[in-house]
Amino acid sequence: MALLELDHLTLRFGGLTAVNDVSVRIDAGQIFALIGPNGAGKTSMFNAITGMYPPTSGRVLVDGQQVQQPPKIRDWLRWARASVLTGAGVTLAVNANSWWDATINHFAARNPFPWGEAWNAAVTVSTANPGWTLIPALIGAVVGAAASWNAWRMGRRTPDMVARAGVARTFQNIRLFRDLSVLDNVLVGMDRHLTARGWDAALRLPRHRREEHAARNIALDELAFVGLATAAQQPAGCLPYGHQRRLEIARALATRPKILLLDEPAAGMNPTEATQLMTLIKRIRDRGITVVLIEHHMRVVMGISDRIAVLHYGNKIAEGTPAQIRANPQVIEAYLGKEEE
Amino acid sequence: MKTSAIFRPAYFFLIAAMLLPAVDYFLPAKLQFASLVPAIMVFAIIGLGLNIIAGFTGLLNLGSAAFMAIGAYTFAILTCPIYPFQIGFFPGLMAAALIGGAAGILLALPTMRLRGDYVAIVTLGFGEIIQDVLKNLDAVTKGTQGINPVAAPGLPGVSFAVDNYIPLYYLYLALVIGAVWLCHNLRYSRLGRSWVAVREDELAARAMGITTPRVKLIAFGIGSALCSIGGALYASLSGTSIEPSFYDFQQSVIILCIVIVGGMGNVTGVLLGACIMVGFNSIVLTKLTDLMARNGLVGDNVLAAPGNWKFMIYGIALIVMMRLRPEGLLPAKDVQAELHHADDQTSAAGAR
Repeated sequence: MALLELDHLTLRFGGLTAVNDVSVRIDAGQIFALIGPNGAGKTSMFNAITGMYPPTSGRVLVDGQQVQQPPKIRDWLRWARASVLTGAGVTLAVNANSWWDATINHFAARNPFPWGEAWNAAVTVSTANPGWTLIPALIGAVVGAAASWNAWRMGRRTPDMVARAGVARTFQNIRLFRDLSVLDNVLVGMDRHLTARGWDAALRLPRHRREEHAARNIALDELAFVGLATAAQQPAGCLPYGHQRRLEIARALATRPKILLLDEPAAGMNPTEATQLMTLIKRIRDRGITVVLIEHHMRVVMGISDRIAVLHYGNKIAEGTPAQIRANPQVIEAYLGKEEE
Repeated sequence: MKTSAIFRPAYFFLIAAMLLPAVDYFLPAKLQFASLVPAIMVFAIIGLGLNIIAGFTGLLNLGSAAFMAIGAYTFAILTCPIYPFQIGFFPGLMAAALIGGAAGILLALPTMRLRGDYVAIVTLGFGEIIQDVLKNLDAVTKGTQGINPVAAPGLPGVSFAVDNYIPLYYLYLALVIGAVWLCHNLRYSRLGRSWVAVREDELAARAMGITTPRVKLIAFGIGSALCSIGGALYASLSGTSIEPSFYDFQQSVIILCIVIVGGMGNVTGVLLGACIMVGFNSIVLTKLTDLMARNGLVGDNVLAAPGNWKFMIYGIALIVMMRLRPEGLLPAKDVQAELHHADDQTSAAGAR
């Protein structure tokens, strides 16, 4: 079974079809390259995989599973809770003045305060005119249920869920947390594996400190892996460009992904840096992480990829080993244009 | 450790605040001001709350006065003798924090998908709505009169009499220290990192597996809870919930200025901001008014009342600051490093 499978994926923006009915199967342990001329839909495909855009049609399967799940009992309970709470809240808001007057203010002079009588008065006043109680409750219940259902629907396949399912990515235009230190950037990537709760941190309980210490060491290892160990305390925004790219990879690796999507990792690198990057990507693959990479740098692509898919105007025009792709006439045409007859 | 270094300017504040009543005792009566300092401490707590929302998480909240109002009114309703609850000072504070935090989360829920300026507009609207609600819910809130009297602090064996401000001073100081400690701990935890990550790049934070709506809700919850505690403390200090229009947009802007002047995202900066903004308003201007009154300088002229200079001076100070030191007086280390790194690059490029 393929680790990552795109099943007839289509992505349209209005009239523009960015990705057109593309099916790809990527096996575990591969380095898979996605190439194609500018505007071919490569990054759009990454965005669809990572949940940044919902696919117009088609499915993305990680490990044979769709991240998007049908509603569970927990979801139904959540909608019910939101519905009840909103209904009660709206009813209270509508009637606050009269109920308060009939209960608290009415008996305020009595000492001690007759809680039982006040409760009876509250029941009387709320049932005396049921229209004012029931209609707001009903409206609130409907609005609450609809809102929480909508929130669930919008949040069915968000980037954070995809990341937690084991797909990490880097970005074409580097998107680091520039004000955070290099180390903290990696620690943000590790966040999903940390378990300390807010109050552990707020009160500095030993549990939190132990976990932070352990996480710090792992993060430093991850930085050493990409060769940035000495820069750990610098703000990420101050790193030179090539190092920022490496840091983005370290941050993505810190999420301990099964699949790593690299969006033009070699962009703007000189030949030496590109060679180092190739070694790095191979070492990532050797850790058992499947790498999917978008790249224009043909030397990098041909040098490390196990398989290559070529996109052209949103269509997959070829897929195969580097040697097959190099010989494919359609690919040559897409890149260089048709030969004059 | 690196984190303890950030605490250092905070120690200066701590020692100064501890010693202030003793120093104040030897000042001439006309210049004594330590009894006015608790107001600064209250606004420091409110500023710390807003700092979590606006400074750490980067959600521009223009409705912080509304949370102050929610705290003040919750506290007033639950402690005022005209109502049967009368749960006392500390339970009242806790209730204010809970209700304020819940209100913050409720407000934040529908804004989760909004970015930048839109959050500001929603919170601005919320601030206006709360004022109207408080005015029109007059059976509960007594409308424009406000609720009074409100409970003063109570601790077994300590007298919080009006003529002796010392116990109140140290109680409020302890609460500020607690709030600072809390904020500092949270900032240097996984939650604080997630907050800053959301501020820096929300999409990237999401792609790293951080559930950003949850992180933002927590920021709103904790921040609003702190604002509400501040509101409750201010009500207790004033002996009344004051009135709905006290918690207007101007108040929110002053709270925002406390955070900006000190340096967004820096806990100690907020303390400095509170000292400057509130200290100027409630200490310098008060003393100046006294002084001018004693010397017969008060007249019909608008400028003859120092209270009228307030906003002019705030305005000028903000403009000057934005020009000369946009990162605030005590900026967070990371923000400053980046701004100055940019400076270095420009000057280096110029030198080439």
